[in-house]
Amino acid sequence: MKKANRVLTILMFVFLYIPMAVLIVASFNTGKDITRFEGFTLQQYAELFRDQDLLRLLGNSVLIALLSTGISVAFGTLAAVGIHSLKPKMRKVVMSLTNIPMTNPDIVTGVSLSLLFVFVGTGLLNQRESLNFGTLLLAHVTFGLPYVILNVMPKLQQMNPALTDAAMDLGCTPVKAFFKVIIHEVMPGVVSGGIMAFTMSLDDFVISYFVTGSDFVTLPVEIYTYTKKPIHPKVYAMFTLLFGLIFVLMLTMNLLQLRGDRKKVNKRPASRGWKIARRCIAGVAAVCLVVGCCFLFMSGRQERITLNVYNWGMNMADGTDGTMDLVAEFEKRYPHIDVRMSEYESNEVLYTKLSSGGITVDVIIPSDYMIDRMIAEDMLLELDFQNIPNFSYVDEQFKNPDYDPENKYSVPYTWGTVGILYNTKYVDEADVTGWELMWNEKYAGKILMIDNSRDAFGIAQYLLGYDVNTTDKAQLQACADKLAQQRPLVQQYVMDQIYATMENEEAYIAAYYAGDCMLMMEENEDLAFYLPEHQGFNLFTDAMCIPKCAKEKEAAELFINFMCDPEISGANMDYICYASPISAAKEHMEDYLAESEIVYPEEAVLEKGSAYAYLSEEISRYVEGLYQGATKINNVSTDDEPSGSPVALIVVAALLAAGGGAWVLFGRKKRKS
Amino acid sequence: MSKELIRLRDLTMEFDGERILDGINLYINDHEFLTLLGPSGCGKTTTLRIIGGFLTPTAGTVIFDGECINEVPPYKRQINTVFQRYALFPHLNVFDNIAFGLRVAKKPKEEIEQRVNHMLEVVSLKGYGHRNVSSLSGGQQQRVAIARALVNEPKVLLLDEPLGALDLRLRKDMQNELKRIQQATGITFVYVTHDQEEALSMSDTVVVMDKGRIQQIGKPEDIYNEPKNAFVADFIGESNILDGIMLADYKVKFFGRTFTCVDAGFEPNEPVDVVIRPEDIDIVDPKEGHLVGTVTGITFKGLNYDIIVEFKGFKWLIQTTDFHPVGAEIGIRLNPEDIHIMQKSEYSGMFGDYSSYSAEYDELTEDAGDGEE
Amino acid sequence: MGKNKSVLLSVPYILWMVAFTLIPLCVVGYYALTDPDTGAFTLDNIRDLGMYLPVLGQSVMYSLISAALCLLLGYPVAYYIAHRTPVMQKILYMLVMLPMCMSFLLRTLAWVGLLQDTGIINNFLEWIGIGRIQLIRTPGAVVLGMVYNYLPYMILPLYATLVKIDNRLIEAAEDLGCNSLQTFGKVVLPLSVPGIFSGITMVFVPAVSTFYISQKLGGTDTVLIGDLIERLFKQGDNPNLGAVLSLVLMALVLICTGIMNRLGGDEEGGVIL
Repeated sequence: MKKANRVLTILMFVFLYIPMAVLIVASFNTGKDITRFEGFTLQQYAELFRDQDLLRLLGNSVLIALLSTGISVAFGTLAAVGIHSLKPKMRKVVMSLTNIPMTNPDIVTGVSLSLLFVFVGTGLLNQRESLNFGTLLLAHVTFGLPYVILNVMPKLQQMNPALTDAAMDLGCTPVKAFFKVIIHEVMPGVVSGGIMAFTMSLDDFVISYFVTGSDFVTLPVEIYTYTKKPIHPKVYAMFTLLFGLIFVLMLTMNLLQLRGDRKKVNKRPASRGWKIARRCIAGVAAVCLVVGCCFLFMSGRQERITLNVYNWGMNMADGTDGTMDLVAEFEKRYPHIDVRMSEYESNEVLYTKLSSGGITVDVIIPSDYMIDRMIAEDMLLELDFQNIPNFSYVDEQFKNPDYDPENKYSVPYTWGTVGILYNTKYVDEADVTGWELMWNEKYAGKILMIDNSRDAFGIAQYLLGYDVNTTDKAQLQACADKLAQQRPLVQQYVMDQIYATMENEEAYIAAYYAGDCMLMMEENEDLAFYLPEHQGFNLFTDAMCIPKCAKEKEAAELFINFMCDPEISGANMDYICYASPISAAKEHMEDYLAESEIVYPEEAVLEKGSAYAYLSEEISRYVEGLYQGATKINNVSTDDEPSGSPVALIVVAALLAAGGGAWVLFGRKKRKS
Repeated sequence: MSKELIRLRDLTMEFDGERILDGINLYINDHEFLTLLGPSGCGKTTTLRIIGGFLTPTAGTVIFDGECINEVPPYKRQINTVFQRYALFPHLNVFDNIAFGLRVAKKPKEEIEQRVNHMLEVVSLKGYGHRNVSSLSGGQQQRVAIARALVNEPKVLLLDEPLGALDLRLRKDMQNELKRIQQATGITFVYVTHDQEEALSMSDTVVVMDKGRIQQIGKPEDIYNEPKNAFVADFIGESNILDGIMLADYKVKFFGRTFTCVDAGFEPNEPVDVVIRPEDIDIVDPKEGHLVGTVTGITFKGLNYDIIVEFKGFKWLIQTTDFHPVGAEIGIRLNPEDIHIMQKSEYSGMFGDYSSYSAEYDELTEDAGDGEE
Repeated sequence: MGKNKSVLLSVPYILWMVAFTLIPLCVVGYYALTDPDTGAFTLDNIRDLGMYLPVLGQSVMYSLISAALCLLLGYPVAYYIAHRTPVMQKILYMLVMLPMCMSFLLRTLAWVGLLQDTGIINNFLEWIGIGRIQLIRTPGAVVLGMVYNYLPYMILPLYATLVKIDNRLIEAAEDLGCNSLQTFGKVVLPLSVPGIFSGITMVFVPAVSTFYISQKLGGTDTVLIGDLIERLFKQGDNPNLGAVLSLVLMALVLICTGIMNRLGGDEEGGVIL
């Protein structure tokens, strides 16, 4: 039995550490693919230290962790003393309050806090951005506090209450007694609570994900965005470094503790070395706090303007693969402006972020129908075209588009088509006949479907021969049925994850934007693009707009103007492989792109395409609901009326009642502590 | 003796509607060694904590040196405390513990050094300054606690069952030590204990408390010899307590016989409690005895035997150096000075009957250490 | 008197916790009962929930399976660690904790690299001639992800209770004639019950609410309730329905912790990280 245990333990550690080993190995890989080791290099580490953004994000995480831990520790320790002297009954109530964030799933905590912040910030205080650094800090303190309390309380309970009396007896005021005696007694609890709060805060993804705005993003949240795209190996390098750091930290802590224990056996008071070490730690923490505050303070009042650009993933040249780094170029031309890029996955995500009022951004690049919707809902600012002289370069056909008839709100950025990308190695050319390829059971499990309601419904509509802008609920329901029918065949519903999956041949067929398809075709020669002309396809325009929440309108217009410079636009297209609405840009593009049928289809082909229009708030929501039902829910028979049964009401009521009962009866206990 | 230092006037203390102290009136003189004695829960520690300033009385006043100090917090009182189980600061070594109060008072460094070292000598802990307090024995910790309090040269030292955690031998040594320290420093000691022997051997004045009330105040000898009621008589030493009737001055009747005693001043025919200490009883030949009884139990105690003798259904405890087997008939004689008369009180009939000898006696032994010598 | 004043120290904390835990839950409740467009009171959101119930069932099932697997795997490991020398215990404990400090997003992503059709394991299988098998996008992969991520949450509380068991009890049981299996069944196992239940809670709660694991390792039919909530808030633009789901999830977790606390008995069950 002992042997079996030993073997199991070893296996368990192998199990725990294999994925980390994979990541660490990947950090030394010359190739980008985590599954194939192509050669040893330290290049990724060099890249990591060149990447200001990544380091800034890490700094953000550390800063928020330090600040929130500092506040939680100070606040929590004092509160614990207070709670300790409460009457037992009241203390029980307070402790169950403390346990709420511990027992609640993180996602519920995150959701509830974000709703609160938005509710109060946007609804009551009329702030433009209700989610920001402050709310993130509030959230982190809120979930850090219980760790401190739950660690300090037992120490207070163990403490000889006469110690406080003794200190006061010897001349200490209560405050002095706290600092001279109590603090020493509860110190181990404060330290372990602080460490827990710190690690939780540093590593927190779920709660931060819900309460973070656009101005201050922590590393885990950004890693989540990274993992949706082909991930750059420098991220693995960072993981490896952090792993090493934490490993060393834990090891030294344990060693110190072991030495401390041994010292105690020797019956000596806390050794001088340990005391010095403690002071050093305290000192370092204090310095970090001060530096952090200064940093915050400075960044708050710096003279430079920060321009927040909110863009699709991989939708602007960033200097990789020999392209121009547009942000760097812009900052070179306008040194007083700092550009901060953040990314969204789909129009729907962008809309949700903006309408919930969580963020501040200055430039957004939504698609046509979304611009239409945003104009209708008064979410955009009118542009001052005086500041955008380069608008004259934009081709006439892209001026005064349907979605912005008077061309007051938008400047086109790119245009393109949605088609099918497939792998010629696995897909029989005979099957490539139209959108029905996406429903071909031969390729079950190898099909990637685009993950946003509008494009997905569009594809179904082209296949079924409906108008893409139909508002007929019966037709929409038919589309939903079609999508539900497709679901068993679909490997994943993806947006930016498509890159990795298609390039390493994990999937064979995908519907996606032509430009991105071009990019993938460059990486994998077996990939081919197909546009189902006979059935119709989406022709989209992405355009730059300034949302109502923008703070730096002039800088934003400067940026838009900059992007309309044919040279810049051309350089940009080299990276993103979309078509530019500025014909003059073609001259600055690489020839294969400018001449590509995929990027610039013939006029005759283009006529078969159609654009999405904004339908209505009600239809949008209806479509979204159908989409979720069709693609996300298992075994939904779509014959059922979706707004279904009173059974749900009863079930929910019963669940809530039982939950409440459980809480009242025995919900007092902590989950982690 | 000397001038009055502390006076407690009508002290009343209530916790959650429960009355812990009920009208305590007491004065403490300068340089006095005063002991608050009573069973657990009698209010002695509460009284001490009120003097120390850790509790504010519900009603009544604490007067220190002529001023009311009810609202003065502990850190402003010229009073220091030796706590139950010492309450030494575990994060400080012996020297730092003792220096704590001086450092809080911001005394100069040299003075602290000198006074702490002096104190270490006084409590015979020279050379222990750097030691961790948790590495000390109970007795040593005790002495550190005393030194920590005394080094501040308080006017009054409060000691809350300071010897409770020590074993018997050490306790005896420390009793002498404390007495010596008290005499050497001349500081007023207010001492709380439930150990009557400790109280009697150390104190100038003993205050016997029970149920939140003072039962008797007096010199140790007076408390022992002239207990005021059955509670005091029973709590201090062993007592046989009988119902009697005071026929007239110096004449008391119990067990159907009239005895001569030394007490006077009662109403004629007043019912009283009669106390007879077990060690005061002389055993004689049954023919010569005032009373004749049968031995029902005997325990060897080292210095003497404790025997239980039944007189007409009532069992007495008698201490004697001679062996009397179970079943033997013996007679006893009572001299007038062996008979103490007390007024009836709420405690009458509750104590002093050894009918359920073993259980009660054991309990008492446990409570009061090893009893009499 | 110091006591009375220090009670005041708890007041800001209580206010804070009410403001940032209780009130947010009320706001969730408010959203759950209002219409997304008009903001009027409605029960429609709750009625819409009907079609999401299968997802709920699936989430509960997966997380219960994961919790059970974690227990089966974690118990022997915790037992093994608890019976090492103190130094060894410290080291092993640290090794269990270490993964918890690293980004679980990246660690889960590594599993994608391992499990996918063109992944490391399949490449290896192909190389030794077995051929590729479907690993990723199966319910098994989701459960594996949960077990992998939350196994330490099971081991740590188990270890903490096991290490507290007085060795003399085991000796006493042996002295009274138990063989090692009986000793385990009659003494060790019953004494570790609090650890077992707190471990189950600590695995179940994050597992039932996860969204990342199922997104990365699951297929189109392994959608979990966490996924739905995330989508409804982040792109579905229907926070009201999301609020209902959050409340349901919370109730579910409360029931689970309630049952576990009741079964786990004493208050000491929750254990130090």
